[in-house]
Amino acid sequence: MSDREAFIANRQGRWSRLDHLLKTGINGAQKWSELARLYRSVAADLSRARSLDLPPDIVRYLEQLSANAHNRLYGSQRSGGGRNILRAVMVDFPVELRRQWRFFLLASLLFYGPFAIGALGALVDPAFASAVLPEATLANMEQMYSGDTVSRQAGEDAMMAGFYVMNNVGIALRCFATGAFLGLGSVYTLVYNGLVMGVIEGYLWSVGAGWNLLDFTAGHTAWELTGVVVAGTAGLKLGWSIVVTNGRTRAGSLKAAGPALFRLIIGATALLFGAAAIEAFWSASPVPLMGKLIFGAFQVLLVGAWLSLGGIRADDS
Amino acid sequence: MLRLDTTAQVDTPERVVLRYRLAGPGRRAAAYLIDGVCRGAILAVIWVIAMTAAVVLPGGDGIGAGGLLLGLFFLEWGYGALFEWLMAGRTPGKLALGIRVVREDGSTGRFSDFLLRNLLRTADFLPGFFAVGLVSMLLDSRFRRLGDLVGGTVVVVEDRERMLGTVAIEPPVSEEERQAMPTALALTVEERRVLEVYMRRLPRLSRERAEELAGLYGPALHDKTGWRAETWTRTLVLAYARAAGRER
Repeated sequence: MSDREAFIANRQGRWSRLDHLLKTGINGAQKWSELARLYRSVAADLSRARSLDLPPDIVRYLEQLSANAHNRLYGSQRSGGGRNILRAVMVDFPVELRRQWRFFLLASLLFYGPFAIGALGALVDPAFASAVLPEATLANMEQMYSGDTVSRQAGEDAMMAGFYVMNNVGIALRCFATGAFLGLGSVYTLVYNGLVMGVIEGYLWSVGAGWNLLDFTAGHTAWELTGVVVAGTAGLKLGWSIVVTNGRTRAGSLKAAGPALFRLIIGATALLFGAAAIEAFWSASPVPLMGKLIFGAFQVLLVGAWLSLGGIRADDS
Repeated sequence: MLRLDTTAQVDTPERVVLRYRLAGPGRRAAAYLIDGVCRGAILAVIWVIAMTAAVVLPGGDGIGAGGLLLGLFFLEWGYGALFEWLMAGRTPGKLALGIRVVREDGSTGRFSDFLLRNLLRTADFLPGFFAVGLVSMLLDSRFRRLGDLVGGTVVVVEDRERMLGTVAIEPPVSEEERQAMPTALALTVEERRVLEVYMRRLPRLSRERAEELAGLYGPALHDKTGWRAETWTRTLVLAYARAAGRER
């Protein structure tokens, strides 16, 4: 037993030095190299402590000490700052979206397909609209878009901004997360929302409120619909990574999909925040219809350019 | 022997195996409940600010309501990710329970890891009360819910273990005590271990508890050697001193 006591007495100075170093923070090359040196020696002591069968509190102490030192040495630097966010939105996201174009295409079909069916169906036959949505909802929509432009009181814009963020971004994030169930949650959200939006669109045109709807939605449509489809893209990718693992374990496959999912979901969130801002502060403004349409066309070009050209130079590398 | 293991292992480049104690569903649920209370408190603060804005600012009704809705959004979707990012893997609830989110290799997570694991909480919650997350945790060897699988994270218990230093023999062995002891105690390896663990715990034990614990092993030693000191505690201390060669 005495050699064990001696071992502890011998090494204790080094242990507490490392402990101290970890607690006080490390700056300067000298401190870092001291940390690396101490870490290696404490790691060796840990192995020795285990083989000597030292008391559990010492082994645990050494484990904790070497784990902390290990994390300090190998731990990733905390990333952050405005430039990173800008890069994530402007470069990483569009590059990733183009890389995942198959999922983006599938999500688009799952959304715009039912949208087209709903719109055409409701346009041709009002009975189709009422088969999909309750009469009360349709009447409500009709009333909302029957008069002149939706007018709001002062400050109401800000409230609507909060509402659009909570509601729309919430739907999109849920659409992504429920993709974990083999993608089914995302498929459902895309199809359902596409169909409902299509039916409303078609119905309002059929009752003559189409121009009013267009007046309100022209500005933010590109942002909003694309945001939902991108969230669906991320959800489909998530579900797919559980099914097709490419030789990994399911857990490993999920983890491998993580970075791509992060880039996509950052993009979807950015798109929907943009949509919420436009919808709240522009779409209900008294600008004439022509102005709204020009602005809306410009937004389509803007979003299109962002997604297709963003980071195109980084694409090659 | 089958071992119900709740530790995660990480092999470092230095060929050391680091072990982390994993946090189970119970501890994590408790942390989640505390976070629920914190969310409530933060919401109350946001509500007060929004109400003040509604009264003070022109057209403040809408601004206040909008701010409140934005606050609700961030509390629902951003609370976990933001705190874990800022506090190196801990939310207030996790801090209270002494648990922490780390990457699978034990290092501190990045924002993307934390965001993903928190977004996926929605899926883990379904169809209610975290049923999916619980099943995932119980099926996984490292208690990972879906969010942890996607984020590449595990939740570990932080040991706040302090080392007790070298064992002190208080008061030192007196001459009479030394002579009363048998020359050879012939302790087994197991017995030495018991003595050592006991000595390390001794400073943290009350006098009565120390004697009670010593009474579990002391009589066995007494049977073997026919020797004992005035208390069982002192008997074990002396036996340790002799075995460790620390009588002087």
